[in-house]
Amino acid sequence: MGRIGEPRYAFDRLLTAPDSSATAEMGHLKKQVVTVVLHMQDARYKALRPDEANRGYKLTFESPKNDKLALFQHGERAFDHILLLPPKSKGLGPALTPKLLLQFINQNGNILLTLSADSPTPTSISSLLLELDIHLPPDRDSLVVDHFNYDAASASEKHDVLLLPQGSRIRSDVKNYFGGDGTIAFPRAVAQELGNSSPLLAPILRAKSTAYSYNPKDEAEVVEDPFAVGEQISLVSSMQARNSARFTVFGSAEALENKWFDSKVKSVDGKDSKTANREFAKQITAWTFMELGVLKVGRVEHHLSSITGDAAGNDSVAQLGYLNPTIYRVKNDVTFNIEVSEYTYDHLSPLKVDASDALQLEFTMLSPYHRLDLIPISQTPNSTIFSSTFKLPDQHGIFSFRVNHKRPFLTNVDIKREVTVRHFAHDEWPRSWEISAGWVWIAGVWITVAGWVAFVGIWLWSEPAYEQSKGKKMQ
Amino acid sequence: MRLPNQLLSSLLVLCAASLGVAATWGFEDATVSVNKRGAGVGGGFKEKIGQNKALSKPVTLGASETLKILLTTKEDNKAKRPHQAFLLVQDPQSKLDTSFAFQVKENGKGKIELTQKDLPTQLLSSTGPLDASLIIASFGSSKPYNGKAFDLTIELDSGSPLPASEKPLRYGKLPEIHHIFKSDPKSPPKIITLVFAAAVIAALPILLGAWISLGANLNHFSKAFSSSPIPHALFFSSILAMEGVFFMYYTSWNLFQTLPPALGIGLVTFLSGSRALREVQGRRIAGLR
Amino acid sequence: MPAKRAPQISPHASAVPPIPKPSPKAAAAPPSSPAAQSAREVSSALWRHYRSTTPQRVKLTDAFMAFLVAVGGLQFAYCVLVGNYPFNAFLSGFGATVGQFVLTASLRIQTNPENRREFESVSHERAFADFVLGSLILHFFCVNFIN
Repeated sequence: MGRIGEPRYAFDRLLTAPDSSATAEMGHLKKQVVTVVLHMQDARYKALRPDEANRGYKLTFESPKNDKLALFQHGERAFDHILLLPPKSKGLGPALTPKLLLQFINQNGNILLTLSADSPTPTSISSLLLELDIHLPPDRDSLVVDHFNYDAASASEKHDVLLLPQGSRIRSDVKNYFGGDGTIAFPRAVAQELGNSSPLLAPILRAKSTAYSYNPKDEAEVVEDPFAVGEQISLVSSMQARNSARFTVFGSAEALENKWFDSKVKSVDGKDSKTANREFAKQITAWTFMELGVLKVGRVEHHLSSITGDAAGNDSVAQLGYLNPTIYRVKNDVTFNIEVSEYTYDHLSPLKVDASDALQLEFTMLSPYHRLDLIPISQTPNSTIFSSTFKLPDQHGIFSFRVNHKRPFLTNVDIKREVTVRHFAHDEWPRSWEISAGWVWIAGVWITVAGWVAFVGIWLWSEPAYEQSKGKKMQ
Repeated sequence: MRLPNQLLSSLLVLCAASLGVAATWGFEDATVSVNKRGAGVGGGFKEKIGQNKALSKPVTLGASETLKILLTTKEDNKAKRPHQAFLLVQDPQSKLDTSFAFQVKENGKGKIELTQKDLPTQLLSSTGPLDASLIIASFGSSKPYNGKAFDLTIELDSGSPLPASEKPLRYGKLPEIHHIFKSDPKSPPKIITLVFAAAVIAALPILLGAWISLGANLNHFSKAFSSSPIPHALFFSSILAMEGVFFMYYTSWNLFQTLPPALGIGLVTFLSGSRALREVQGRRIAGLR
Repeated sequence: MPAKRAPQISPHASAVPPIPKPSPKAAAAPPSSPAAQSAREVSSALWRHYRSTTPQRVKLTDAFMAFLVAVGGLQFAYCVLVGNYPFNAFLSGFGATVGQFVLTASLRIQTNPENRREFESVSHERAFADFVLGSLILHFFCVNFIN
């Protein structure tokens, strides 16, 4: 990967594309200064920094060899995001060690890491990825080929420019931020294999089932033990850390180059098409740099309710008392509302949850007593209000309303509202006559009382009749 | 009959050549066999696979059996080694797939051996049969071959079940929970309650009837009231009033509303009671009781 | 009930006819065993004796006590049949009859002319005053507990 510079990589234009003049008004979502750390052999490329960024990014080009490059300043992140391009040299230098990159993620920085089969991946990057359970081929020159889906125009012999449709959903309930009808050209890609155990990892773009990874040096003739085959090959992988910081591994840095952004490709069966690399690159950068799939929680409310009917949703629920009380009673009917927005490029939009998925509310003390699907009840231009009305459990204690929404490609939401749930007060129990089962015993008490009063009267005023009666009975 | 066929095929070749259509990859002499470990050759299942012709019956792979495929790969009609000679195994339902590479010699003779141990557990535990396809492809312009060869049925050893593969954690929707410690007690059918309540209430008239049959009366009422009217009136009415207070306490009053009248009435009961009972005692001593 | 009263009329126990010896005829008829027959004879004798010798005022008390047993029994049977929810209502309903029964039994013992010698110091009226006080307190407790 020889010359890296402005004309080859178009993402600087992409990131500063004039179509989204975002002056993000949202506090924490505000795009501040974005720095792209490029590897550059030559210091003269620094002069190529674009000035102002229309998409809101300010780009800084740095060579990893630059001694002055530091990701942190006074312990704080100096940049919001990093875009790492494959270095020419073997290492990345002291400013970009795996430890520092992880620290960058831990401090909510986002990284877009690009790999290329043309320039060997530094071992430090491989070990960083290994720590994240992303596996690269052990031999550094490996690349992915697919004899069934390649660009016949540019790689008719080597078949190493893959043609792939834009990303499809990884799961039916996960929103696809990388979709589209276009074809992506993916030249000389590095295969990644994702570990199965981590929920933080998600593939964005997979190879087709006929693809495989091979080493052109050792396996030029025949491949007998490929590193990865078929759809196990992830070409673009994502890792969203627990703090929602994003780390994307992009298997082909070349796919981000100018020449692939709007070029013509030809599929094996001879169809010509234009590449959608530009759109795909925008999707990838937007997702990685927190322009997509960022959730914001607005108002969180809960209140006592009275249920007046059987109508669905909240139509039959009337609010009792004031908002967000600190104490409830066991078996109270309670309504919980949460307002959630999703940030999309330059504005907040209402969060839409797939029908097979749901925003879920847990009412929890140590473990959840209730876990309920929250139902969208209304929408504002910027947000959706989700609600659920339910009966509190028959257990007193300190409970929390908790919305813990973790989904692939969405930032984590973990909202907790603590409330006390008290027991019935002595005068809140139903009175005895309200319980039909007790009527017999209530009658028993009052019949006893009535019989007793009559007995008192008899005892006081009854004239003995034993002489006559005795006489009669003696007969 | 033969002539047109020949003509057609030669025409096709001609067309292909003239259009510059590239050579195609394929194979011949492909056999699939399943053998028990240790058993002699030829003891098990053996079948020929034709190009672009999937076997009609599924191939069954048992726990201790080895599936073996032998073939000769060809580019057009020449035996040649391709870069990619894979057996692709795919679960048609989950779309999970994996591939196994043939060991192919220079002369195109390829061989693959497969046991259950080679297959990932996700495929082993799939319910339906798996699709097994042959992929033969290489660089250059030759047309690659990808055709279904057979259905692969996995026969698991019932003695040793699959290692329980714990489902890896994935973020997603969780099952709903509705935890109730103790459900609300239910009242019995009202009819039973009402029958019993009626029986309880009916006991009072029966008591009164029994008393009357035993000769109970209120004959001393006038006597008592003529000798000490006020104590008797007060005593009995205060008892009634006390029960009335209890009834009010039951229906609406709280304890602090109940206690003062109860104390007052109790005092009246005490004072009038001692007088009234003295009169009763008088009657008893007079032998009237 | 009469059988229960038996100890209290013990001074007259000598008046109870002796248990008749089982006749050969009764022994020959298995359905009515001699024991059952004699028990029936004993109880009828007891009943006759009770009817003839008990003062009327005591009989009135006994009728009240029988009423309490009936009401209490009904409540208990209901509880066995449908369960004890609401338990406090059951306790106070059943407890009212049991407590009233105990207080009435106490009044009966103290006012029975046959026990005059044992309760020389307690006049009938004093016993009745105690009975009224105890009953009122019992009623208060029951009403308080039934909710």
